[in-house]
Amino acid sequence: MNNNARPFAADYPEIGTGPVPTAPAVDPAFFELEREKIFRKMWINMILREEDLPRPGDYFVRDIEVLDASVIVVRGEDGKLRAMHNVCSHRGNRLVRDQAGSCKGFQCDFHGWVYNNQGELAFVTDEQRFHNLDKPNLGLTKVHLDTWRGFVYVNLEETPSQSLEESMADFNEDLKPYPFEKMVLAGRYRYEAKANWKTTMNAFQESYHAAFVHKRSVRQCLDDDADPYLASQRIKLQPNGNQSISVHLPPHDLTPTEMIAYSMGATFTQGGDGNVNSFPGTAQEGIENWAFDLNIMFPFSRINVGAGWYYVDAFWPIAHDRTVYELAFYFPMPTSAGAMISQEYSKIVLRDLSREDLFTNEVTHNALRSGAIKSIQLSDQEIAVRHQYEKVTEFCR
Amino acid sequence: MIDQLPEPFAHLTPYRHWAHSTEDARMRQRLNASMSEITDYYQTLLPEIDPIAKHLDQWSLAEIPADHKELLYMAMMFMETAMCVEFFYEPDVPEALGAEHMEVFAGRSEQLVNS
Repeated sequence: MNNNARPFAADYPEIGTGPVPTAPAVDPAFFELEREKIFRKMWINMILREEDLPRPGDYFVRDIEVLDASVIVVRGEDGKLRAMHNVCSHRGNRLVRDQAGSCKGFQCDFHGWVYNNQGELAFVTDEQRFHNLDKPNLGLTKVHLDTWRGFVYVNLEETPSQSLEESMADFNEDLKPYPFEKMVLAGRYRYEAKANWKTTMNAFQESYHAAFVHKRSVRQCLDDDADPYLASQRIKLQPNGNQSISVHLPPHDLTPTEMIAYSMGATFTQGGDGNVNSFPGTAQEGIENWAFDLNIMFPFSRINVGAGWYYVDAFWPIAHDRTVYELAFYFPMPTSAGAMISQEYSKIVLRDLSREDLFTNEVTHNALRSGAIKSIQLSDQEIAVRHQYEKVTEFCR
Repeated sequence: MIDQLPEPFAHLTPYRHWAHSTEDARMRQRLNASMSEITDYYQTLLPEIDPIAKHLDQWSLAEIPADHKELLYMAMMFMETAMCVEFFYEPDVPEALGAEHMEVFAGRSEQLVNS
C-alpha cells in the first residue's frame, strides 16, 4: 500500500493540478476542431482481428460517422488484407450495405459496377457508352491499413503523419507480449449514449467511481474498509496521449454464482484471487490484487487485459453530444459447456456494469451543458482524465 | 421438440421456455420477466448448474447433441437471472442506460453451438 495519497502528479508536472475547463466537453465548435485535428489523423481500431477474416473474400464494413466515412476491410484473392472506402467510383453510391460477409467482389446496386475483392474495378455495365474510362485507376479509393498484434487499424489521412507502431508508443513494450492469439471473440455490445465522447470515456479512466456507480453490480468487491475507493497503484501516462491504468480488486466472498463461474474459468471479478497464472504484457507483477489493466490508445480506443480474458472497446464520437460505446470481450475459445457457462457470467457482469457507467455519463453531460460549473475538480486518482483534456486541448490548439 | 428435457434433468422441463439460443434473447427475456419468475428460476437452477456442466462436458462444445443444447441455454439463462437476484433485486439494471439503446452480438462460441 502506498502511503503517499497523491503519488502520480509529481511524475507529470506539465499537466498541473488545477481545475480543468468543461468547455471542450460541451462546446460544439470544439468538436469540429477535434474532428480535423485529432480524429482525421489517428489510427482507428476497427475492433476486428485479422483472424476474423480468414478466407479470401471475407469482408467487414465499419461506418466511421465522425469522419463521414464507411470503410470496407477485405481479404483479397491474393490473401492480403486491404481497406477501402465503401464508395462506388462511378457516382459515389454506398457500395456494400451488409456489415460483414464473404464474396468474390462487390456490385453497386445503383448501376451495377463490379469491383473484385482486391478493390479493382472489374466490370462496367454498358461500358461502350462511356467516354475513355480509365478503368485501372477507378478502383475503390484506398484507405491505409496496418495491424498490431492481430488488431486491424485504418488511417484516413492522405499520408499518415505517424505509423501505427509509432502511435502505439510504450504499448510496444508494455502490452505487446499479451497472449491475444489464445483468445477469441466471446461477445460484443454496442450502446448509444447522449453525451460527449470525453464525458462518456472519463468514467472508464479511473476506479474512484466504482464505489458509487457500481455499488450494485460488483458490490461484493467493494467491501474492503482499508481501500473503499480502489485507489489505483499504477497509472502511466504517455506523451502522445496514451495511458495505462491498473485496476485491482481485493479478495472477497464470492457470490453463489460467481463461485460457480470461477470454478469453471477465469472471471471478470476474480481480481487478486485470479493471479494464479502469469500474463506477460500486463502490470500483474507489481500490483497487489491486480485485476486488469486499462490501456487507452489516444484518443478513444482501449485494449484492456486481464488474467485469462481481455476486452477491446471504443468511444466512437458521433456528434458533440452523441457517442457510441462498443465493447468486444475475448476469452479462450471454450472447449466445453462448463467454460462457456462460466464466460457467460463475466460477459453479463461487464455488459450490465457498462450500462451503469453510461447512464451516469449522460446525466453528467446534461449537467455540464447547463453551464452551472465551468471547470471540474480532479484528484490524483483522476489524473488520466486531466491528461486527456490536456492532450486534446494541446492538439486542437 | 421432444416432450421432456433429457435425463437426469427431465424435472426441469417446466422451465424450458427460458432456453434461448442467443445472449440477446436471454437478456430480453430477463428484462421482460417478473422478479418472482426470475427468483423462482434462479433458485431452481442454482443447484443444477454444476451437474448440467458436468453432464454436457462429456461432449466437446461443437458436438453437444441437439436435444441437450436446451440445457446449455438454460444454464446461461441462469447467469442472467443471477444478476437480478444477487445484485440488482429487480429484472433490469437500476440507474442504467436503457436496454433499448444497446445491441448484443454473438461471439464465436454462440455461433458454433447454434451452427
